[in-house]
Amino acid sequence: MPNKLREKMLFNLAHSLLREAGSVNGYGLFSFLLFFSFFIGVVVWAFRLKKNYLNHMGELPLDSGERPIHSTDSLPSTNYEPRP
Amino acid sequence: MNVDTFKYDNRIVRAFAVATVVWGIVGMLAGLLAAVQLFFPEANLNFQFITFGRIRPLHTNAVIFAFIGNGMFMGIYYSLQRLCKARMYSDFLSRFNFWGWQLIIVSAALTLPLGLTTSKEYAELEWPIDIAIAVVWVAFSINLFGTIAKRREKHMYVAIWFFIATAITIAVLHIVNSMEMPAGWFKSYSMYAGVQDALVQWWYGHNAVAFFLTTPYLGLMYYFLPKAANRPVFSYRLSIIHFWALVFLYIWAGPHHLLYSALPDWAQSLGMVFSLMLIAPSWGGMLNGLLTLRGAWDRVRQDPVLKFMVVAVTAYGMSTLEGPLLSIKTVNALSHYTDWTVAHVHVGAMGWNGFLTFSMLYYLFPRLYQTVLWSAKLANYHFWIGLLGMMFYCIPIYVAGLTEGLMWKQFNPEGFLQYPNFLETILQVLPMFKLRAVGGTLYLAGVILMVYNLYRTARAGNFEPDTEAQAASLEPVGGAHGKPGWHRLLEGRPLFFTVLTVVAILIGGIVEIIPMFLIKQNVPTLSSVKPYTPLEVLGRDVYIREGCVGCHSQMIRPFRSETERYGEYSKAGEFVYDHPFLWGSERKGPDLAREGGKYPDAWHYTHLDDPRATSPGSIMPRYGWLLTQKMDVEALPARLTALGKVGVPYPADFENGPAQKDLRAQAEIIAVNLKRGSITAEPDREIIALIAYLQRLGTDIKSAPAAADAK
Repeated sequence: MPNKLREKMLFNLAHSLLREAGSVNGYGLFSFLLFFSFFIGVVVWAFRLKKNYLNHMGELPLDSGERPIHSTDSLPSTNYEPRP
Repeated sequence: MNVDTFKYDNRIVRAFAVATVVWGIVGMLAGLLAAVQLFFPEANLNFQFITFGRIRPLHTNAVIFAFIGNGMFMGIYYSLQRLCKARMYSDFLSRFNFWGWQLIIVSAALTLPLGLTTSKEYAELEWPIDIAIAVVWVAFSINLFGTIAKRREKHMYVAIWFFIATAITIAVLHIVNSMEMPAGWFKSYSMYAGVQDALVQWWYGHNAVAFFLTTPYLGLMYYFLPKAANRPVFSYRLSIIHFWALVFLYIWAGPHHLLYSALPDWAQSLGMVFSLMLIAPSWGGMLNGLLTLRGAWDRVRQDPVLKFMVVAVTAYGMSTLEGPLLSIKTVNALSHYTDWTVAHVHVGAMGWNGFLTFSMLYYLFPRLYQTVLWSAKLANYHFWIGLLGMMFYCIPIYVAGLTEGLMWKQFNPEGFLQYPNFLETILQVLPMFKLRAVGGTLYLAGVILMVYNLYRTARAGNFEPDTEAQAASLEPVGGAHGKPGWHRLLEGRPLFFTVLTVVAILIGGIVEIIPMFLIKQNVPTLSSVKPYTPLEVLGRDVYIREGCVGCHSQMIRPFRSETERYGEYSKAGEFVYDHPFLWGSERKGPDLAREGGKYPDAWHYTHLDDPRATSPGSIMPRYGWLLTQKMDVEALPARLTALGKVGVPYPADFENGPAQKDLRAQAEIIAVNLKRGSITAEPDREIIALIAYLQRLGTDIKSAPAAADAK
């Protein structure tokens, strides 16, 4: 397929998608851009977080600080027998 | 570094766990009763307090706020203490939260069958209970933030973010949507009318799903899933993105409940676009949950706790894919008002919330009682029966929903409706309704197995009211002479977080709701639309009390299939005096927006007395008591005054003398009309008022030759 045609089809598709989405007016565009920039901001922030911090946070639920004698952290929920 | 020794409060967790189980059974029984009435209307035993219209809101409220609500508190009170390495801020507030919440549930269980309802979905409870909810919610929030402030872990795990978002957003939603003008102790009218009321209600309704059924449970998933699998969450990074994208996006999606309604087009489009974008964070969260189990799938096969979790997370993924798809206008044109929506919410409620709650209960009971689960085998039976129940519930209802949608829209080659009689489309899906009840019964049977299993577990172990724990104390931020908790709250991240969350959730609401109130163009007035007469007001109140809105919509969408069936499509300007709006969200019976003048008064009288006398095979319940109960004329002045206060332009001093006179005159006319149909009826009975209201519906725009177009 010639590139020109492909481009045109893509354009038509995008065009009709936008049209089908109702009259995407200034309001819709503004809201979308608002979310999009917010989203990019969050992604950049998340990816700049330090590995140490992320590991620490991931481990948080696993240690409840319960005293060994009482601790239920490693207690199995059920009396199932792991298969060999 | 000091090491503190302290105790986690297990009593409050157990209290909420027991309440979860008890109310779960009540809520599911109410659902089963409602399901049976849909194919066997006599199942209400001709008892007005358990008719479908009153039992349906009882079912939804009991499942959402009593079963899942208590499950949410159970999980939060357990996980929050352990994530903060601190006991709850105040034992008194914990108990206040518990007993206050149970009291609210009991009052809901009493008032809803009595017909005391605002009719706004998931916000049916009347104003005194609304205030109680706000008070209890504030107590919960203080306890939550207080615990966070005295935590011994520097960082807040992502689950706590979800809890904060829940506490804040539910407070905002509840207060804004519950703005109502009391007309006596158990009656109120929404501050908002028509289109505006609809937008506020579905902004609330959708986000009740988002921030009551989703965010707290996501927080619980992020805690209990790693805990049960004994490995950290797959990607903490992803969970951060999941959180922020979700709280930002969800709030915008409300208008997807009002597609093709009289809501302005721009608001509908916003709702649809943001709903579609929601797929991304939702699936991010689902994958994060499922991938946490990588390398542990062998355990999933054996551990019932993990089994329930896998189905729960999968159901979350399914319903959050389906939701956005249903928000596409073309799909919604087919699915709206049908049982498709009902199936969709049940995948979420039974699968996501139900199964995650069961998994938490199976996880918690052995730990609270320092033992192991009494029978893993029985829990496995519960798993399979529950899953089967869900399938038997959802699949038939999907079939029913599609069938209804397609039949409503089918034209014959001559261009007429293929099924002009609405009843035909309902009779077609009755077998599906029956299968649904079977599915519900199976699901409930599974829960009963669980109750027995948990009871035996509790009996075999010893309850530990307080679990001792140790953690290093955090240096207070305020320094040696500061007040540590307060300073850390102010200077640390919780406050910053809360402010950010509030900003994120407010943007969507503000962009959608404020223009709706400020720009007049959004609700064009129609000069021929007049306030309801006193008799019609009382009739409308009966309509609200009986929950007619549960089965009959009052919103004709601009499709040929609808205008052919019901008449001219609904305009925004027609609802300016509708406090509250009664557009409805389901059609188990025909739309009533243009019911006025379609049938003679005598037809309505006979039909309400015995629907099967006029429409053989109808599944509508009989409303015999309307024929004998006297209408509440004494309440009229208070009600008209309240309506006047929210903006309905009745003449000055109308409610005292002229209103009663007007009422009697209109009632007499209806009595005379009935006489013509050989029916003798006292003009002071409730049925007269209801007939007056029904005959008024949608007639205003017919009386004016040049009504402005609502577009």
